[in-house]
Amino acid sequence: MKEDNKQQPRGKFLQIAKAVFWAFFGVRKQSDLDSDASSLTPAQVIIGGLIGAALFVMTLVLVVKIVT
Amino acid sequence: MAAVHDHDIAHAHDHHPTGLMRWLTSTNHKDIGTMYLWFSFIMFLTGGVMALTIRAELFQPGIQIVNPEFFNQLTTLHGLVMIFGAIMPAFVGFANWQVPMMIGAPDMAFARMNNWSFWLLPPAALLLLGSFFAPGGAPAGGWTIYPPLSVQMGMGMDMTIFAIHIMGASSIMGSINIITTILNMRAPGMTLMKMPLFVWTWLITAYLLVLVMPVLAGAVTMLLTDRNFGTNFFNAAGGGDPVMFQHIFWFFGHPEVYIMILPAFGIVSEIIPTFARKPLFGYSSMVYATASIAILSCIVWAHHMFTAGMPVTGQLFFMYATMLIAVPTGVKVFNWTATMWRGSMTFETPMLFAIGFIFLFTLGGFSGVVCAIVPIDIQVQDTYYVIAHFHYVLVSGALFAIFGGAYYWLPKWTGHMYDETLGKWHFWLSMFFFNLTFFVQHFLGLAGMPRRIPDYALQFADFNMISSIGAFGFGLSQLLFLYVVLKCIRGGAKASAEVWEGGKTLEWTLPSPAPYHSFETPPVIR
Repeated sequence: MKEDNKQQPRGKFLQIAKAVFWAFFGVRKQSDLDSDASSLTPAQVIIGGLIGAALFVMTLVLVVKIVT
Repeated sequence: MAAVHDHDIAHAHDHHPTGLMRWLTSTNHKDIGTMYLWFSFIMFLTGGVMALTIRAELFQPGIQIVNPEFFNQLTTLHGLVMIFGAIMPAFVGFANWQVPMMIGAPDMAFARMNNWSFWLLPPAALLLLGSFFAPGGAPAGGWTIYPPLSVQMGMGMDMTIFAIHIMGASSIMGSINIITTILNMRAPGMTLMKMPLFVWTWLITAYLLVLVMPVLAGAVTMLLTDRNFGTNFFNAAGGGDPVMFQHIFWFFGHPEVYIMILPAFGIVSEIIPTFARKPLFGYSSMVYATASIAILSCIVWAHHMFTAGMPVTGQLFFMYATMLIAVPTGVKVFNWTATMWRGSMTFETPMLFAIGFIFLFTLGGFSGVVCAIVPIDIQVQDTYYVIAHFHYVLVSGALFAIFGGAYYWLPKWTGHMYDETLGKWHFWLSMFFFNLTFFVQHFLGLAGMPRRIPDYALQFADFNMISSIGAFGFGLSQLLFLYVVLKCIRGGAKASAEVWEGGKTLEWTLPSPAPYHSFETPPVIR
């Protein structure tokens, strides 16, 4: 099992991004959750969440700028 | 989830003081939880009497019962007492009782700090309520204590500021305790994603509290120095900005709304699976949605201030962000509904309150989305529409969940079953009178009746009369709850350890009443 934890950095980043995106929506498939729980650390998810929140705010600001 | 325990109630180490000292010096999570719950119920009745005085005055147009100054003090203190005195301590009471039992811990992590967190509350309540007797009376500018009114008031305002400081300190200590307990004292095998949802929602709520309570403390401290030490943080004449207070206040205030509803989500998420006899649908989605709501709650504060003066860019940003909160909240409502779908449902009192919660909270959520839309909000701001909206989320949301939780866990706490017939009466009377009180307030608001006024134009008379009748019915129905609880404490059918056949969390593996020390040997989680 330990082999699975040695993912490529890019794959890991994508997995964190996906976990955070689904967290923002509030839905997560059980199998994906299980793989998150086994391979991601809480610190990674929290940092990912903060980056996600910043991106979310910037997207909203961008949308607002476009429509005004 | 299953657990093995070898607890022997006769063997429990119950060496503790008795009488008054038991309560004053208690470091036991159950005793402290009980004190929190009684404190919150007393404050609930106190704030309720204020509400009934308000509704009595509003029964007819004209000034009949209280003078306008006192009326304003009542609306202000009703809000502060219900939020800081009733709802929040009730949830901390639930956390104290339930979190250690649900994670398989013997007690809270910081038992002495737990005692201190509670015993800070009665002095704070005395300061808050004592402000009625100060020269100039209690604060009268609304629970949001906006300057410049709050800078100009008498010393009742200073007493309220100190009360808020003390209650904030109590909340922060309570939160640190809950976070530490959950992160460090779970039974072996209970990973984060195996925790009951009530524990999850409280973990996230506790982080929110630690984040925003200092913000409120900062805001009221600046108010205090503006009032007493010549600073001008919020005084435009001295170069300050009163709108800055509103930003700081609502940066606390909006997450505070979620602090009052997330534990309610947790309670409902425990009750529904038990009485539907099915596991919670989408457990992980529920956890994710709770975290998502908590994060979003920190970036929507200015939707309370659309009419305070804000660039259109700001209005649009906060409107979009606010409307997006409906997504994770909707996920939760769908999950609860899906949990009930094709379940073997029975409708005992906790389940009735949980279903009432889902129905009415969703209604309150929808009127929230309506208020989030800037052009509509500009019409309805400071009207009874807003009053109706937040009473749907806080009374039929938070309070109904508290009632549901109380009926759900009372047999575990007291060892006796409560009176089911009276419990159901309590639910149906509450349900009927709640809607009678608050549904008509939507119409009043849409017709333009402003909030926080003791007198009103004649066209609002009929709906106000209906609302006041509903309020007295609702208030009196709560005495039935008091009677049911007292009756349950004094006796009744013996409760089994399991109590409800569908209960799967750890507290149902302990005998009823739960022993003084919950799990002296940690249970094993499979």
